[in-house]
Formats: sequence, C-alpha cells, structure tokens
Amino acid sequence: MSTKAAKRHKFRVGKMTFLDYFLLVLLTVLSLMIIIPFWNVIMISFATQKEYADHPLLMWPKQPTLDAYRALFQDGRLLGGFLNTFKILLVGLPLSLFLTSTMAYGLSRNKFPGKKGIFFIVLFTMIFNGGIVPLYLVMKSLHLTGSLWSVILVGSFSAFNMILMMNYFQGLPESLMESARLDGAGEWKILFSIVLPLAAPIMATITLFYGVSFWNGWYDAMIFLRKAEQLPLQNVLRTIIVESTTNVSNAASVDALAKSGFSTGMKMASVFVSMLPIMCFFPLLQKHFAKGVLTGAIKT
Amino acid sequence: MKPAAIGPDKKINTPSKPRSWFLEIWKHRMTYTLLLPGLIWLFVFAYMPMGGLSLAFKHYKANMGIWGSPWVGWENFKYVFRDPTFIEAIWRTLYVNIIKFLISFPFPILLALLLNELRMGKMKKVFQTVFTFPQFLSWIIVSGIVINVLSYDGLLNSALSMLGLSTINFLGSERMFLPMLILTDIWKSTGWGAIIFLAAISGIDQDQYESAQIDGASRMQQIFKITLPNILPTVTVMFILNVGGLMSAGFDQIFNLANAATQNVSQVLDVYIYRITFQSSTDFSFSTAVSLFRSLVNMILLLSADRIAKMMGGDGLFR
Repeated sequence: MSTKAAKRHKFRVGKMTFLDYFLLVLLTVLSLMIIIPFWNVIMISFATQKEYADHPLLMWPKQPTLDAYRALFQDGRLLGGFLNTFKILLVGLPLSLFLTSTMAYGLSRNKFPGKKGIFFIVLFTMIFNGGIVPLYLVMKSLHLTGSLWSVILVGSFSAFNMILMMNYFQGLPESLMESARLDGAGEWKILFSIVLPLAAPIMATITLFYGVSFWNGWYDAMIFLRKAEQLPLQNVLRTIIVESTTNVSNAASVDALAKSGFSTGMKMASVFVSMLPIMCFFPLLQKHFAKGVLTGAIKT
Repeated sequence: MKPAAIGPDKKINTPSKPRSWFLEIWKHRMTYTLLLPGLIWLFVFAYMPMGGLSLAFKHYKANMGIWGSPWVGWENFKYVFRDPTFIEAIWRTLYVNIIKFLISFPFPILLALLLNELRMGKMKKVFQTVFTFPQFLSWIIVSGIVINVLSYDGLLNSALSMLGLSTINFLGSERMFLPMLILTDIWKSTGWGAIIFLAAISGIDQDQYESAQIDGASRMQQIFKITLPNILPTVTVMFILNVGGLMSAGFDQIFNLANAATQNVSQVLDVYIYRITFQSSTDFSFSTAVSLFRSLVNMILLLSADRIAKMMGGDGLFR
C-alpha cells in the first residue's frame, strides 16, 4: 500500500489545499471590490442626509428612511424617464424582433438569386457606417428628430443580432419547412407558425439583447430628442448625476449639488432604481449573453 | 397537424431543368418580401447616412439638404487636417485607448485562471455572477457609482483620510484622468471579459491535466504548461480584435466620466466629433469630413484585425 501516493492523490483532488483557501480569499476580496460600491450606493439612498454627511463610509444606516425615494417620486423627472423608456421598449421590442426575424429567416433558407449580395449588404454595415453626423441629418430630413420614434427606429435592428438568429434558423431541419411548403404554406406563414415556435431560445436571447440595449441607450436620445420631458431614463439619470456635478473636484460642488435640488441620497436612489430591472433580469441575462457572445465571437 | 390553407396544391418544385433567372426570382418572391422590411431599415438608417458622407465633399446649405448642397471637392479636408484640435483628438484617442487596452487586457485572463483554479463549483458561480454584473449597466449608471466612490468626499477618499493618508482627486484632475479610466474599465469589464477565456479553458482536453498529474506536475506547472498554451489562440484573437476597435472604443465611458476639469484630456475623436457637431457653431460639412475619416480608419483597422486574426488561425470577426 503506497500510502504516500494515495495521500498525495487525495490531497490534490479531494481536500482543500492552501492554494484553494488562498484563491477563495483572493476572489472574495475581489468580489467585495465590486459589491461594496453597489452596497454603499444602495445604503446611502436609504439614509438620512445628515447621516451620510457624517459618515460617507456608510454601510448600514442607523435610521433607514425612504425620504430620498419620496423626494424622487415628487420630483417626477426620473419617473418620466422610466415612462419614456417603457414606451420605447413597448414599441421597439416587437419592431426589432419583427425586423430581425423576418430577415434572419429569409437569409437562412436555401439559395436564391442575390442571397450573397443581400448578406453582404448586412455585413457591410458592421464594418462601415456613416457615423452620427449624417445619421442626424437623415433623421432631420425625415422629420424624426424630436420624436421618440427616432430612438425606437435607430435601435430596432442590429446586424449582429440578425446573424445570430440566422445561424440558429439554419440549424433547424429543412424537412419541416419543406413539408409545410408542400401543404401550401407560404414563407411568412412558415416563419410565424413553424419557425418562431421552434426558436424560443434564440428569441429570448435576442429579446434580451435588444431590451438591454434599449434600456441602456442614451446617445441617440441625446442627439435626436430636444425636449426634456421626452428623454428616456438614462438621459434623465445623466442630467441628475453627470451634468449636475460639473466640477466634482472641490468642496464648492457641494453647494452646487444642493442648488440642483438633488441630494446625494436622491442621486443614489436614482442610480439604484435605474439598475433594479437589470438586477432582476440578471440571471437570465447572464446565461443568454454568455451563449450569444460565444456563438458570435468565437467558435469553441 | 395544422389545418393549413386548403387549396390547390401549389407544387412548383419541378425536376431540375435549367431555369431562367427570372423564374428563379419569381419562385422565391415570398423570400424577398421577408427580406424587404430589414432591407428598408438598412437603406434608411445605414445606407442613407453612408451616402450622406458625401457631404464631406460638399458645402452644406441647410435649405438644400444633404443631396442638394454644392460640391466643393477636398476643401473640407484641408480645414480638417489643419485643425490642431482634430490632430490632438486623434493622438488623444490612440494614447488613451492603447494605454488603457494594454493595461487592462491581461486582467480577464488572470481572472479566468483564478476562477478556473477554484475548486468549489457553487462559489465559482457566485463569483462569476458578481464579476459579470457591472458589464450590463450603462456607463451612466456606472459613472453614478464611480462618482460616489471616487469623488472628493466619496467612499475611497473618506477611507483614505480615515487611515490618515492623503486624499486623491480622481475625478477632477487631468493627471488622474487616464488612471481613473483604466481603473473603472477594469472594474466594469474584467468579469465579462473572463467569460470568453473561461469557455476556452473549459474546451481544453482534460486528459492533458490527468497525465500531467500522474507525472507529478504541480498546479502552477499545469497552469503554465497546459492552460496558458491552450488558450493562447483565443488570447491572440481577442488581442487583435480589440486592436480593431482602438479608434472608437471607450466613448461612453469617457463622455460620462469627463467633466469641466478634465475637458482637455477627455477630447478623444468621438467626443471631438460630438462637440464640434452638437455643441459649438455647427459646420456639418466639416463634421462629416471628420466622420468620414473616422469611419474609414475604423474600417481599415477592423478589416486588418480580422485578416490578421484569421492568419493566426482564429475565426476573425465575421467567421
């Protein structure tokens, strides 16, 4: 009985070595570096202003309060931002899924004249684009600037998402569609009654992709929209956080903050409610995004 | 199964005869209608702006629009390349993005190695969740968090002064701007970046580790002799693909973390384009010329990155 070898083997595979504990501690410290900033933000939003002023290192408020949230609600601007973002999602998600799935299905089918050319037209937009200036002028000439439609339309197609969906459709058995075709079903009918019901996983993935990009979008809205009451959530958050802190370097900024009407507590409450939906969807997001990015970026 | 439209059997699949092109198109007319909505979108929101880049060679007149304004040849570019702010913005972009990229690039690989070496499966999941979360937040939300942590009276400086150390002006000084960008970029994206490397590691043949263990290789040796060489192709491809985005990377971050005090050091090309187009007196022809230059450079970078990645045996950007 070579106890020594057996022991060593057991030692390596079964029991925790010093290295394992070291890794655990190291990774815990690293993840605390992610968690503590979030925790601090959330706790400040529940603390009174005085308590925060006395202890910026706040980790657990002694007198938790909803004052910041109440004030935020009364101010109403962030609420308006939420409403606009919901409007964008409500119209943008179905539209983007329609545009993406029709094209993905069309390109996933057998050869037809011009297929390669059309695919290149899509692919080329991933390599080259006009940039924001001509896009703005085109939007203006279409009289879309100043309307939420500009933000919805610009965000409702992505070549990357289309290609992901196309790859999925290509994996579906052709025989299903062929038999439907023999039954006299047209391609549109096949897409909606056969392909899409089979494509629930990719539809979920792509819905999340578009959902996150609409939720996090702000640049288009900043360029295309004019009135403050039209702005989506992220832009409202930006005015609350980034633009009100014009100069965060000196103590005078504290006065400026007070003037802007938003206490630190209210700012942190805004940050928290803006990321809350992402937090709720996160388990789903993580799973689907990892899959998407892996099929899209590298084949393993 | 489904009571599909009962009607005359529209069987158009005749045995393969040399078909005329038009017949072939007619046969697929339904497919073309499927493609139409997407193509219309692409035409209006991708190709019309591309056509709009012709404005770079025109003198924009508001009443004549993009298409009606008179041609002026290369005149706009003469002004562009003579504009010191433009040249400065190009160098700033390269400087910021190259340094940020070189410093932050190894972190996802290191994190992937650490996570892979961790034996506890459950904890691994928890850690992965924590590390990837910030990636899904916009830079506006993250800048809210960053301002709270790094500002003059924020979390980190309060901790520093509590420990009796001198405080650091992270957000309001030109000198600290790039380190702050690097720091926040690592904080936000490392966990997500690690996912690709973790996937590459999980694809490694387990037999290699087993035989190495039998030969008595230590875990460190296994990392350096098996794991790292095996994920090297992925590392190379990711490196090259990131180089492809050097000219356009980081706009969201820089735009949302810059302020009046860091105005000069935050003027990368995209910020410069935004400022000359939407913040100062507008000369759309001039901005379009800058836009065209940016798009061309981006395309060249992307295509070369793709080509090189393929040469290195990777899949490139577009498979």
